[in-house]
Amino acid sequence: MKRGKYTHWLFIIPALLFVLIFVYIPILQSFYFSLFRMNSYSPETIFVGLRHYRDIFDDPIFYTALKNNTWYAVISVLCQVGIGLVLAIILESKFIGRSRKLFRNIYFLPSVISVTAVGLMWYFIYNPNIGLINSLIRWGGAKDFSFAWLGQPKTAIFAIIAMSQWQYVGYIMMLLIVAIQKIPVELYDAAEIDGAGEVKKALFVTIPQVKEMLLVTSVITVIGSFKLFTEVFVTTRGGPYDTTQVLGTYMYRHAFFFDAMGYASAVAIIIFVITFVASLLQIKLSTRN
Amino acid sequence: MKKILTGFFVLSLLLTLFSGMVAAEVQLKFLHRWTQEPYYSFFEEVAADFEKLNPNVKVDVQAISNDPFKEKIKIILGTEQGPDVFFSWPGEFTNRFIRAGQVYDLTDVMEQGWKDDFVYSQLEPFIYNGKIYGSPFRLDAKVFVYNTKIFQEVGVAIPETFEDLLRVCAELKQAGITPIAFGNQAPWAVSHYIGTLNQKCVPDQIRLTDIQPEKGTFTHPGYVEALKKYQQLVPYFNQNANAIKHDEARINLFNGKAAMMYLEIVEIPEIERSAPEEFKANYGIFKFPVIEDGMGDQDYLTGYPEGFVVSANTKHPAEAIAFLKYLTGKEVGKKEAQELGFINGIKNVVDKGEVKDSIYDSTQIILEAKSLVNWLDSSLHAKIWSVYGPELQKLTDNMTTPEKIMQQIVKTAERVRSEF
Repeated sequence: MKRGKYTHWLFIIPALLFVLIFVYIPILQSFYFSLFRMNSYSPETIFVGLRHYRDIFDDPIFYTALKNNTWYAVISVLCQVGIGLVLAIILESKFIGRSRKLFRNIYFLPSVISVTAVGLMWYFIYNPNIGLINSLIRWGGAKDFSFAWLGQPKTAIFAIIAMSQWQYVGYIMMLLIVAIQKIPVELYDAAEIDGAGEVKKALFVTIPQVKEMLLVTSVITVIGSFKLFTEVFVTTRGGPYDTTQVLGTYMYRHAFFFDAMGYASAVAIIIFVITFVASLLQIKLSTRN
Repeated sequence: MKKILTGFFVLSLLLTLFSGMVAAEVQLKFLHRWTQEPYYSFFEEVAADFEKLNPNVKVDVQAISNDPFKEKIKIILGTEQGPDVFFSWPGEFTNRFIRAGQVYDLTDVMEQGWKDDFVYSQLEPFIYNGKIYGSPFRLDAKVFVYNTKIFQEVGVAIPETFEDLLRVCAELKQAGITPIAFGNQAPWAVSHYIGTLNQKCVPDQIRLTDIQPEKGTFTHPGYVEALKKYQQLVPYFNQNANAIKHDEARINLFNGKAAMMYLEIVEIPEIERSAPEEFKANYGIFKFPVIEDGMGDQDYLTGYPEGFVVSANTKHPAEAIAFLKYLTGKEVGKKEAQELGFINGIKNVVDKGEVKDSIYDSTQIILEAKSLVNWLDSSLHAKIWSVYGPELQKLTDNMTTPEKIMQQIVKTAERVRSEF
């Protein structure tokens, strides 16, 4: 068969069409919808231009949501990637011995449970009256202790963030373990000959060697942080009084509770821009080296 | 081999024939909001009974639970596969669908005699701009349910006025008992308090104008007064009201951990079904006390019926209306009263003695009320409630003031008016 000038297009087109129809066109469509006042059950639409964007930037709850997402991203990168790395190094080091597999499974297990189930479980753990945490504190001496971890605006979002750390630290750990296992043994042998101990080996061999994976996991956690939805939805639904609202629930609330589909589309576009810029930045950073 | 093939051929032929027969039937989609038992089975039975009476109709029953229903119904109505008959709360919740042309106008069929079956006060909520759009399925109103034993032990009487209520609460609190159980994680719970207080503090004509999204201003000082009254109640609620679900708070009432709770009459069957014997033998109800200097009518009762409507997009209006008529009619109403403890909107649907006295008597309170006041959350425009709800939760935690809240509501109402 003779190879034509355009044959390669034949191979690309199916995938291209797929991505176009299911990714790029909906994004453009969302932007188009964001220019209208509309709801899901009425055919009536009113053109409002960029008014929704102005309203969003005027809405204090939008900034609460943005702040919560940012907290989530910062804490997740520190905890999941940070602690995940420490755990991975410990589990791949010599002194853990035979129980390595057991611990690996113990840490990994939470990440395979559905988020909804985890959310419900933690909802009960945090319950002010019957919850595990308050029961422990009461058992420890504070007899009348009753603190609503998910009901107090100061603690609620952090209670949700803590829950996610518990769930995903094992997942990130697993990715890093795979990366560590790929490091050539010779490097460690050489370090040992140079007199490096376990800590120095971790600092000067392991971490530089898994740098790429660290970057990938950071990208995953940051983007995940801005797409956050289920964790908040099953525990607080954005309450008390919108203090745990994140961009995802903020969008949902406007779309399906306040009958403002156009407004919600505008929020969707903003979420898209944020995650897009975040991943661009991170890709840029990773290719520079 | 040949036999098998022939068998297969005959089977597939039969299947085709059969499916053709099914297609000739009328398929009705029916959507309600009771996913728990015994309610879910009740609707299945009603649908099955209707199918027996109308062999050409098949009713496909689906349910979505209360809070998600409010969100999902909006999506479902926008699709081609929407339900033919569906649940809805009368008032602004339904009116928005009526404005969008999604609800079938029942006025003509109602005028042919059907209308006279109902207690008019219970049908009235389904009227919008002079037309009838739905049929009531169960009556409801808000009352205080209290623990008679605790009241006796502390030595307090049923409060007649709001000042009395505060005094009773203070005495209960002094005796070391939580006066009022309150679970406000979903803010519809606080909306019931504020709905009642608004009605009692604001002149009725002004309040009824304000709930119309195209006219509402919310500038009357009675609204601030209502929130101030609510603030006086807050110290008597259990701790962490915003973190507790309504049902959790109700369990505390059942277990004697609180003296009273502002409940719906439709929750009385739930008391009869699942409260401990101890509580069942020692509870009573009283209406929200009057506010002596309140500018609204003090004889009104907060509470509205719930019901079903027919979709304007239904392909089988005759069958859908027939099903609605059956579902909210006398026969099903009797079964509903006896099995679920709910009373529907039909005149004299049950006589005294046919159901538990507690259910019969509490229903009389609704039927005797001078007028009913719709739930605040379903009577307000979605955008106004979107501000009101969270702000009321803040007020419950003492994080804002009545004046600040009403300033925001006035501003939001102004925006909503400008969009009409």
